[in-house]
Amino acid sequence: MSILRCYQRYLVFLLFLFSIITGGCASTTTGTFHINENVDFSYIKRVAVLPFENLTDDRSAAEVIRQLVISELLASGLVDVVYTGDVMAALKRQNIKDVTSLDTRQIRALGKDLKVQAVIVGTVEKYGEVRMGTITAPEVTITLMMAETDAGSIIWSVTKTRGGAGFMARHFGARPETLSETALKVVRDAVQTLYAY
Amino acid sequence: MKEDKSIFPQALRNRLCLSIILSILILSAGCAGEKNIKFYRSDEIKGIERVAVLPFENLSSEKEAAKRIRRTVIAELLSRGVDVIEPGEVTRVLRELEIRSPTALSIEDIQKTGKKLKVDALITGSVIAYRISRGINVSYPEVTIQLMLIDTETGNILWSVWNTEGGPDFWVRHFGTEGKSLSETARDVVKKAFDTLF
Repeated sequence: MSILRCYQRYLVFLLFLFSIITGGCASTTTGTFHINENVDFSYIKRVAVLPFENLTDDRSAAEVIRQLVISELLASGLVDVVYTGDVMAALKRQNIKDVTSLDTRQIRALGKDLKVQAVIVGTVEKYGEVRMGTITAPEVTITLMMAETDAGSIIWSVTKTRGGAGFMARHFGARPETLSETALKVVRDAVQTLYAY
Repeated sequence: MKEDKSIFPQALRNRLCLSIILSILILSAGCAGEKNIKFYRSDEIKGIERVAVLPFENLSSEKEAAKRIRRTVIAELLSRGVDVIEPGEVTRVLRELEIRSPTALSIEDIQKTGKKLKVDALITGSVIAYRISRGINVSYPEVTIQLMLIDTETGNILWSVWNTEGGPDFWVRHFGTEGKSLSETARDVVKKAFDTLF
């Protein structure tokens, strides 16, 4: 009888533990990142976020993610960010029509023009709702890269993806994420890989 | 008194029920997510008494979303005692300065516009989402905006906020109660955005 009482106590505890663990199992962000550890990031005080490449069907996706990256960088207090209108004006002055394939000379020229130590480029690969059986859920995949304007070399790059309806949302009616929330989290997770440095 | 011969005595049954209920509540509530607002506020914000709200960029699928949010922003600023230039006057000046893309002004354009309108700062913004989304079993409003306050002298960003409101709350999902309308959600998102400034 005392053995049974022991099991009963553990059962309650295990049930609670299981709940905590699976409760955390909403959509998670996965991805990879690379950072050049030989670079002293403290000298990067001001960056320009260039227009992103859009590989999705949503024509606004690239601009949405770009604005989110700018907001996240500003909110982090890590760096100053050039106002987007100024970036567009600089691209026009430097006669750069395609930001998806900048060469070293162009990156250096932009750096001088905008007085920034680095530029951030990016690609939005997925942005929208995907069908998973009988339900639809948001999915966002982005790649960001930072190039220093002195040498034009890539010093940070990250790819993050987040999406799908979590276990608890599908089976227990927990609140699913909206597309905006998914985008916010994937950008936050991506930029956070820079915080550590 | 009847002897309880079951494997699970009454006291344990009560504890088990309570644990299950608490766990479900924690899961459902805990899955509400982190704060959906990101903001930056410069220490240089002072003496901003008069602003102009530029036309917003519309990144949503709703044609009139940018106009609606711009009107809501102007109303919110006025309710907080900020002097706001009349939108028609802003349109006239932008036309006069031959600014075709008010959503992507250079610093030079910002300074010229600020001088013409005699304002301390400009508010620019984008509407990222303005829609009724379909969730697993329910529909819900979703409004996402980004706003910036730009100093007209220096072109510096004094304040920036990204905020999203909406999504299906607990009562809508499980009890079918009526959630907020799209307009109410839009007002909330603008109000909470400005709570980070004032």
